Amino acid sequence: MEDMNQSTKYAIETRGLNIFYGDFQAVKDISLQFERNRITAIIGPSGCGKSTVLRAFNRMNDFVPSAHATGEVLYHDQNIYDPSVDAVQLRRLIGMVFQKPNPFPKSIYDNVAWGAKMNGFRGNTDDLVEETLRQAALWDEVKDNLKKSALALSGGQQQRLCIARALAVRPEIILMDEPCSALDPIATLKIEDLMRELSQNYTIIIVTHNMQQAARASDYTSFFTMDTDRSGIMVEYNETSLIFTKPKDQRTEDYITGRFG
Amino acid sequence: MPRNTLNRQLNMVQDEILLLGSMVEQATLAAVGTLKSRNLREAKLVFEQDQIINEKRFAIENAILILMATQQPMARDLRTLAALLEVNTELERIGDYAKGIAKVTLRMGGAEVNLPMMEIDQMAELAVGMLHRALSAFIEENANVALAIPKEDDLIDALFNTAYSKILHEMVANPATIDSVNLALWVIHNLERMADRVSNICERTVFIATGELFEMDGMDEEDLNV
Amino acid sequence: MKATDNFSFSLDQGIQSPEKGFHNRRHQRARLAQAAFRLTTLLAVIFLATLLITVLNKSMGYVVLENKVDPFSLSDRPISDLNNTELAQILRENLRKNRVRTLERAGFLEDQPRSTLVQLVNTEIIQPEVVESYNLFPSLINRSKIMADAAVSYPTARVEFRFWLNGAFLTNSMASQPELAGVRSALLGSLQLILITILTAFPIGVGAAIYLEEYASHKSRINRLIQTNIDNLAGVPSIVYGILGLALFVRALHPLTSGALFGVEGQNGRTILSAGLTMALLILPLLIINAQEAIRSVPISLRQASFGLGATRWQTVWHHVLPGAMPGILTGTILAISRAIGETAPLIVVGASTFITSDPAGPFSSFTALPIQIYNWTTRPQPAFQHIAAAAILVLLISLLSLNAVAILLRNRFTKRV
Repeated sequence: MEDMNQSTKYAIETRGLNIFYGDFQAVKDISLQFERNRITAIIGPSGCGKSTVLRAFNRMNDFVPSAHATGEVLYHDQNIYDPSVDAVQLRRLIGMVFQKPNPFPKSIYDNVAWGAKMNGFRGNTDDLVEETLRQAALWDEVKDNLKKSALALSGGQQQRLCIARALAVRPEIILMDEPCSALDPIATLKIEDLMRELSQNYTIIIVTHNMQQAARASDYTSFFTMDTDRSGIMVEYNETSLIFTKPKDQRTEDYITGRFG
Repeated sequence: MPRNTLNRQLNMVQDEILLLGSMVEQATLAAVGTLKSRNLREAKLVFEQDQIINEKRFAIENAILILMATQQPMARDLRTLAALLEVNTELERIGDYAKGIAKVTLRMGGAEVNLPMMEIDQMAELAVGMLHRALSAFIEENANVALAIPKEDDLIDALFNTAYSKILHEMVANPATIDSVNLALWVIHNLERMADRVSNICERTVFIATGELFEMDGMDEEDLNV
Repeated sequence: MKATDNFSFSLDQGIQSPEKGFHNRRHQRARLAQAAFRLTTLLAVIFLATLLITVLNKSMGYVVLENKVDPFSLSDRPISDLNNTELAQILRENLRKNRVRTLERAGFLEDQPRSTLVQLVNTEIIQPEVVESYNLFPSLINRSKIMADAAVSYPTARVEFRFWLNGAFLTNSMASQPELAGVRSALLGSLQLILITILTAFPIGVGAAIYLEEYASHKSRINRLIQTNIDNLAGVPSIVYGILGLALFVRALHPLTSGALFGVEGQNGRTILSAGLTMALLILPLLIINAQEAIRSVPISLRQASFGLGATRWQTVWHHVLPGAMPGILTGTILAISRAIGETAPLIVVGASTFITSDPAGPFSSFTALPIQIYNWTTRPQPAFQHIAAAAILVLLISLLSLNAVAILLRNRFTKRV
């Protein structure tokens, strides 16, 4: 009973995860648990492998020919690097929002509906589009011109559309790779509010190099840095409120007070 | 090492706090001095100069808020600024105690009163000394020194008890001067509270260094009144 | 800090450069470069204009026509005003019996269309012949001298201004007389050839490009070898493709390309199909390289977005990569077709006929093509052939531009579909 609680408490968990690009070890021995229906931020300096770890969760690293991983990433008690796991199906369940808003050059409607159709959605597409756009807090802004090109939207709207698009395939976890780095501050705050809303139903893992954003938006924060051989390592993982007021590790302290390096 | 702007402005605020601290020390010693000399003009001066202390306190508070808003400090920086804000308030309160003592001198006027001046003098010396060292430790973020200072409060408490009973005896012995002697209770009470406030400053020093918040001296006002 | 101190300019000197000489040299060089680029553009325009002017110059001008038989010796009225009976009468009187019998095999002369009869009278009895022809510029400048010369040299002839590119030129087939020759069969041959080329090369080229870009591992030795070969093939001379086509399609695949497999009898392998496939081979490397470029230019972020939603690779390619790359692919196709439509050498090797009077009847017929026809006419000594060659070049250019216009329209549709 204890064990079962333990395994269902976390949305995703890594155990001794190492990722290599060819001979270079990008991240070293990462063991992390991500709480269900919480927002976890991964922060750290450039090149510390935080995006690499994020992309390991939906096996986007598969597209980098030289990349390979050892260790375990447990999702529903299964190692996603197990040969029996279908990466395509995994990516439906673990959605992703990218650094630069990247809507398809299609209409707003098609952007939301496409992923669902590709995954065999058979219900009422109109309802699905409306529901997910509402979830992404975009419906009121676009409901009158759903046929308009998604590229005509502002950057912030595009990013929320990308979130809606990810939601439309009914994922359990949403990975966000610096989702606000191309957005203005107001659009950024809207996305952060949206993340808070979404965290009621979804587990969100966000990589950001904006510490204020991690502080504002996340429940848990994990700090990564580089080892002496430039591999990424996980230094500290704790509740966000603790990381940003009294971090335990001096390296975390140096980084978040802006005295890194 | 980046963040030079934050460091420089932080240092400036710390300097201002030290300045405020020495103003408060001066005011306390001067106030106790007027009680002894009964120099009403001097006492009036001390009473009025509290206004300057108050203004300085608002200026420092403003500077800290601007720093927080513009530099968005984190972790130790954030704790330092929060502590500075707290210490700033504490110093202003200590300033108020000095003002209170000057007010007692003014109230007593020329009345012939027998006061436990020796204890009062000692209490003032001790409290000012503690304040001085507490502020140094605070600026240096020296938790070890800060942890030791509140223990000296026991001495002040002892002096307080002595002075308290002396004043009560005086009240019983000379009921004619009871109005004026009663005022002396204020004085020793203020000095005793001053030491408590110094303890608070020391708590902030430990907070900056370790991130931990706790009450250092178990004794407070309520215990005394029982 | 040190590095910035070494710069000789500083802000308080404003926009005045401290070193006058350096400043001037810099701008001088910039102006020189601009002038050079302008000159090269001008040269290109001059070359193109010269080409066009030469062709246009030859394609129209005065001709001196002499009739073998004076039309007014046949009838009092102009030939075009006569009715069927009168025309048939003239034909019977002036043609040999055998010829009349041949003509009447389809029915009595009187019952045939009047336009046919008029044409028969013109070509078989009157037989106007171009005895002298002039280019456009001499025609415009020396009009009176041409008229005078013609009156002296050919007293019975008449002088008229002729556009060699006219309706009859487009609808007539090949003939041994330049006045009667046309490009009809060559034009149809070229169009069918290009159709076969596109239908073969486009799917194969795009398919290969998709495989190489989206599926093949760039680290694999074989794939790199293939890639290098494709890049090199693009530079192989077209005649080599002709030889390849001759060996492969005309000879080795003879049963297929002659249509014997499909029940077409009596053809050798020198058919439109062989030529079209050879052309397809020729433009395939161009198409592949271009399509690869177009596919590569589709942003990675789109692919990532698609994969991130749980799409398969094929769904990603079909729904995002191909539509995104299509404008670029079509641009490459336009270029490739432009090359194919003008190619002569491989067609000669594969065996295009230079003298064909019938229209190509399908992929298994022998054929001729516009460039072949032009090549053939320019080698003839009679000056009139030079004029119809010029007219045929205009036809080639116009059909090329029309094909391109269609492709550009298609591309714009794809681009606007967003």
